[in-house]
Amino acid sequence: MSRRYDSRTTIFSPEGRLYQVEYAMEAIGNAGSAIGILSKDGVVLVGEKKVTSKLLQTSTSTEKMYKIDDHVACAVAGIMSDANILINTARVQAQRYTYAYQEPMPVEQLVQSLCDTKQGYTQFGGLRPFGVSFLFAGWDKNYGFQLYMSDPSGNYSGWKAAAIGANNQAAQSMLKQDYKDDITREEAVQLALKVLSKTMDSTSLTSEKLELAEVFLTPSGNAKYQVCSPDSLSKLLVKFGVTQPATEAS
Amino acid sequence: MSIFEYNGSALVSMVGKNCFAIASDRRLGVQLQTIATDFQRISKIHDRVFLGLSGLATDAQTLYQRLVFRHKLYQVREERDMKPVTFANLVSALLYEKRFGPYFCQPVIAGLGDEDKPFICTMDSIGAKELAKDFVVAGTASESLYGACESMFKEDMEPEELFETVSQALLSSVDRDCLSGWGGHVYVVTPTEVKERILKGRMD
Repeated sequence: MSRRYDSRTTIFSPEGRLYQVEYAMEAIGNAGSAIGILSKDGVVLVGEKKVTSKLLQTSTSTEKMYKIDDHVACAVAGIMSDANILINTARVQAQRYTYAYQEPMPVEQLVQSLCDTKQGYTQFGGLRPFGVSFLFAGWDKNYGFQLYMSDPSGNYSGWKAAAIGANNQAAQSMLKQDYKDDITREEAVQLALKVLSKTMDSTSLTSEKLELAEVFLTPSGNAKYQVCSPDSLSKLLVKFGVTQPATEAS
Repeated sequence: MSIFEYNGSALVSMVGKNCFAIASDRRLGVQLQTIATDFQRISKIHDRVFLGLSGLATDAQTLYQRLVFRHKLYQVREERDMKPVTFANLVSALLYEKRFGPYFCQPVIAGLGDEDKPFICTMDSIGAKELAKDFVVAGTASESLYGACESMFKEDMEPEELFETVSQALLSSVDRDCLSGWGGHVYVVTPTEVKERILKGRMD
């Protein structure tokens, strides 16, 4: 409709929209979904691996989740190459803060500084926005466990449970129904897997199509990010009864 | 007085059988006045790499913070810890970057590399690496340390014997140096555990 206003990121349309930013969000709507849930004793991130082929060389590194610093991790949805740039930026920012202040960067400040970078690409430079949405999961001593969602416009907000990527609206409404404020980390894992199994397009759920990671405190009081191994993930899927094909799920 | 002798320090690292020990004194001084008797000169980079920094304390602290920065980034990007050789190369590169305005530090790096092989090295303040198979020393007490280590060192010592040797070498050397001493701090690292011990020496 207003095609003449959408080729440059740095101008508004007559209706006051930034088309390039909206098109970036479209790109993310086609990517593999990711869900984050905040619990009393940790934050859970679950991601759907979109690219599964027998020919893919499996490695230990993850496709959807990335560690930013010891106390912060993120799940991505969207264009992976854009995500890599932003993740590297976030990592360097976290270390710069630690170098200057000799303590871990507060989670919200990290999210904010990354979003400031993203916002720059919507206002100046003539470059296209990043086609990535993030779910940041972290812990700091001021606000404890936190979950943030950010999108290509550079907007972010804190959430108790959030979903990005394909079918995120369906996932978000399911989370709204089933989320309780005093949910434990184990219940959060169960809820995340259940919601993801229902919103994923594939007919059956195996540990090869998923990634699960958690941010929690070790007994010694340090924040830790841990990715679930494929074997443990398979066991969890069986335990929570989500390995059946989606049509048979209760 | 030279800038390297402003704070006073003593560092020694020795190789044993599938293990290594790294030890330092505990004095922090401002020329002849002792300011602290519990100063940490050795830092853990990760479970298998330890870094000791002798020389000017402020440069040692800043250099350590910069190295943590670089190592943390390496860890999140490569999803693994740095090998000791790699870390030594990083330290050398960082020091040479300041070739014409250097950090007044002499580092001692000790770690367990591939197949748990112990690795030790030292370098001068502009990054010239000195790899050794037996022991390396640094600090104001380095001359005494060279003599003590040369005479006390034996190849393939077990962790307990290595601890005794390193401790004796350190304490006897710092006793001959007025700028270092006030006890010792020894780390003995094997593939399975890290034993940290404090030595009580002549408190002067």
